[in-house]
Amino acid sequence: MDLVVEAAKSRDLPVFLAGFAARATEMLKAEWGGVGEILGSKVEMYSQGREFPGGSGEREWVAQNVTRKRLGLEVLPLGETEKYCAFYPIYASDGELMGTLCLVRRKAEFTAAEDELVAVLGSHAALSMEKVRRFAQLERSKKQWVEDIDAISDYIAVHDQRGRIVRTNRSLATHLGRSPVALVGEPMISLRHIAETGSALPCPFCRNTRELREEYIATSEGRTFLVSTSRKHGVTDEETRTIHVLKDITDRREAERRYRELFDSIQEGLFFATPEGQFLDVNDAMVRMLGYESREELLQADVSTHLYPTAAAKERLVRAIAERGALRNYEETLRRKDGSLLHTLQNISAVRDKQGRVAQIRGLMLDVTEQRMFQSQLQRERDFNQKILNTTQSMILVLDTAGLISYANRRCYEMGYLEEEMIGHRLVDWVAASHRKDFEAALQTTANGQQVENLEMRVRRSDASMGHFSISLSPMRDESKQVNNVVVVMTDITDAALLQAKLAHSEKMATIGRLVSGVAHEVNNPLAAILGFTDLLLENPEMPASAREDLQIILQETQRTKEIVQDLLRFARQRPTQREPVQVNTVLRQTIKLRGYDFASHGVEVVEEFDEGIGETLGDAQQLQQVFLNILNNAYDAIQESGNHGKIRIGTKRAGDAIEVTFVDNGTGVSDPERIFDPFFTTKQAGRGTGLGLSICYGIVRAHGGEILCWKNAGESGSTFLVRLPRATETALAAAANEAGR
Amino acid sequence: MSSPTTVRAFSPILLIEDETSVSAFVRAALERRGYTVVQAANGDEGLRHLAKGTYAGVITDIRMPGKINGADVHQWIRENRPELSGRIILISGDTANSETQELLTKSATPCIEKPFRVRELISIVETTFGKP
Repeated sequence: MDLVVEAAKSRDLPVFLAGFAARATEMLKAEWGGVGEILGSKVEMYSQGREFPGGSGEREWVAQNVTRKRLGLEVLPLGETEKYCAFYPIYASDGELMGTLCLVRRKAEFTAAEDELVAVLGSHAALSMEKVRRFAQLERSKKQWVEDIDAISDYIAVHDQRGRIVRTNRSLATHLGRSPVALVGEPMISLRHIAETGSALPCPFCRNTRELREEYIATSEGRTFLVSTSRKHGVTDEETRTIHVLKDITDRREAERRYRELFDSIQEGLFFATPEGQFLDVNDAMVRMLGYESREELLQADVSTHLYPTAAAKERLVRAIAERGALRNYEETLRRKDGSLLHTLQNISAVRDKQGRVAQIRGLMLDVTEQRMFQSQLQRERDFNQKILNTTQSMILVLDTAGLISYANRRCYEMGYLEEEMIGHRLVDWVAASHRKDFEAALQTTANGQQVENLEMRVRRSDASMGHFSISLSPMRDESKQVNNVVVVMTDITDAALLQAKLAHSEKMATIGRLVSGVAHEVNNPLAAILGFTDLLLENPEMPASAREDLQIILQETQRTKEIVQDLLRFARQRPTQREPVQVNTVLRQTIKLRGYDFASHGVEVVEEFDEGIGETLGDAQQLQQVFLNILNNAYDAIQESGNHGKIRIGTKRAGDAIEVTFVDNGTGVSDPERIFDPFFTTKQAGRGTGLGLSICYGIVRAHGGEILCWKNAGESGSTFLVRLPRATETALAAAANEAGR
Repeated sequence: MSSPTTVRAFSPILLIEDETSVSAFVRAALERRGYTVVQAANGDEGLRHLAKGTYAGVITDIRMPGKINGADVHQWIRENRPELSGRIILISGDTANSETQELLTKSATPCIEKPFRVRELISIVETTFGKP
């Protein structure tokens, strides 16, 4: 305490050391005494009152010896002066040599008492030097600390328990336009204009907590501060200190706010995620896109299992990022919270750590669901239209207003037309010359915006044959409603027209059948009476011979009428009387044999082209023979009429479920094939036939479930008759055999 | 029992035919050969005669106006006068008609087709009913 006071009194170490040297000189009866203090590489010598007993060389030598470490007292001769200098080292407690006590005396020896005294003085000096040094150091560092605190630009304020300012730093004082000292003792509340936390405490920077260390935000108009608060409890409440450091983070907050605003206001989804795909942060658009209520909900959701429709999809994405680092326009289908699918387009980049591993992924996500749906709908529609266009049995062509073909659907190609004969060519060139004018007119009408439907025209097919076509034309308009194209739909209705004709014909025949049946029945009654009464008259023996002759004529004509009526009824008949298996070829051969002699003698050649594998039909062989005979007779008559060298080709073949028999002659050819089966239609001279022969054939064939057709031979003379009969199935044959056995 | 001579003197032939010209000549032809004939103009009338009289046989047209045609008469006799069912002759205007065909095939009843000769008529009547 004594020394501390002494040191505190002297305050200055040089003064103390000089005084100490003086006292040691006196106590050890030396001529001169000094204390050399080691200050880094320099030595400062402190002495008091007496002149150094030697030259500058000796003085220099003494100073140099100060820095030598020695264990204890050492006495050395002082140059040429015949005096001695004693050195005693002064060590600090940590062993550092702080300095050396130097005493110049006349004698070299030290008595034991002197030795002890030097040691005591040495340790005394060491203690004092160390204390003084520490104190100086403390003073320096305290001063330094204050300077450091003052150098901090953040505001620092320390207050006591009652909210009185204990200290502020210079930055805060300067901001307030006062000196730090002047602020001491003022109430903290006077600083509220700088910032406040909003608490009702005496200090505007405090919060209602007792945390020892905490950080929070305090704001004032336009400024934002990050407040770091530390509390230091003293022994008494009086000594408790609260330290606030206020960091102005207004600019940082602003930047952050702007960033956040941008982040959230942007319409594209933005996200930060772990390499595994778990979201770390997302913007509002992302939350909306994925159908979540809030950002928090999305961040907490286990998206890595819910977001991806399949685990594989997620793995693919994670792998792609790891491999390529960044993905541009990556298409991914994700699942919304409600399970619906979201089609996205993503741009993703990876942030890697120092080892090159993916530490985070960042990305931008676009919702392309609508586009995708629109696209797929468009695609579907296009496919659908394409399908319709390509599967329709109609030919569809698009013409420009000049009538040139610019498009043809698949059907056109299937019909055998080649691209080079369609595209760029005039459609009208396909139309039969006689219809061209009508077609041009229809095209013009359509170009004027009107539709033309079901034009029936003859059009050249790809194989150059002419077909019967139904043609519809529709205008196609551009955006400005101007007709710029004409869509032509063409259907080859040749077969349909034939079928329709056939249908009309069979309907007509059925009607005639009903009519004939009714008439025949009605005629039979009076005929029966005429025949009956004629017979009765002839039975009368008194009848004169002349009357008897007349009655015979009546009888004859009545018989003829009866035959006609019976023929008519046969034509109208609905079912064959017999239903037995019939070998068509056999029936034909028998029929040919019937007329064989006659034909041969008149130079008519009959060629048989029979297929023996045609099977059987069920029916009445007699009736079928009648049909074949009738056709043969007809052919024979036609040949006779033409005067040609006659030839009749008779062929049979199987056609699916039917047996087809064809009779091709080279006679005059049927003039009216559509009417030839009508009852009483005959081209022969009156009296040569009833005109019912082919009608009966028609009736018989129909009754067999078949059909009979006739046409003029194309490109050569003569006609062809086709009899088509149903081919009996195995089961039908078995059933017929069974029926016959009963 | 069905010897023709036993019925000759007593029982007439019932002729059911709507066509008067036909029934007139059939009746004349039969009467000339000693048969007696009772005429009915339609099926209905024919059945009334059948219900109360005794006949050597029945000649009936198949197609007739009214509710009862020849097939119905045929059916009625089979059910109500079975002893007469072997003595029916049908007259047909159109044997090609499918219904007629069916009736003839099923019952094997003799049928004479209009128009017919007197000798055809007498021949079938004598065979079926016997001579008077």
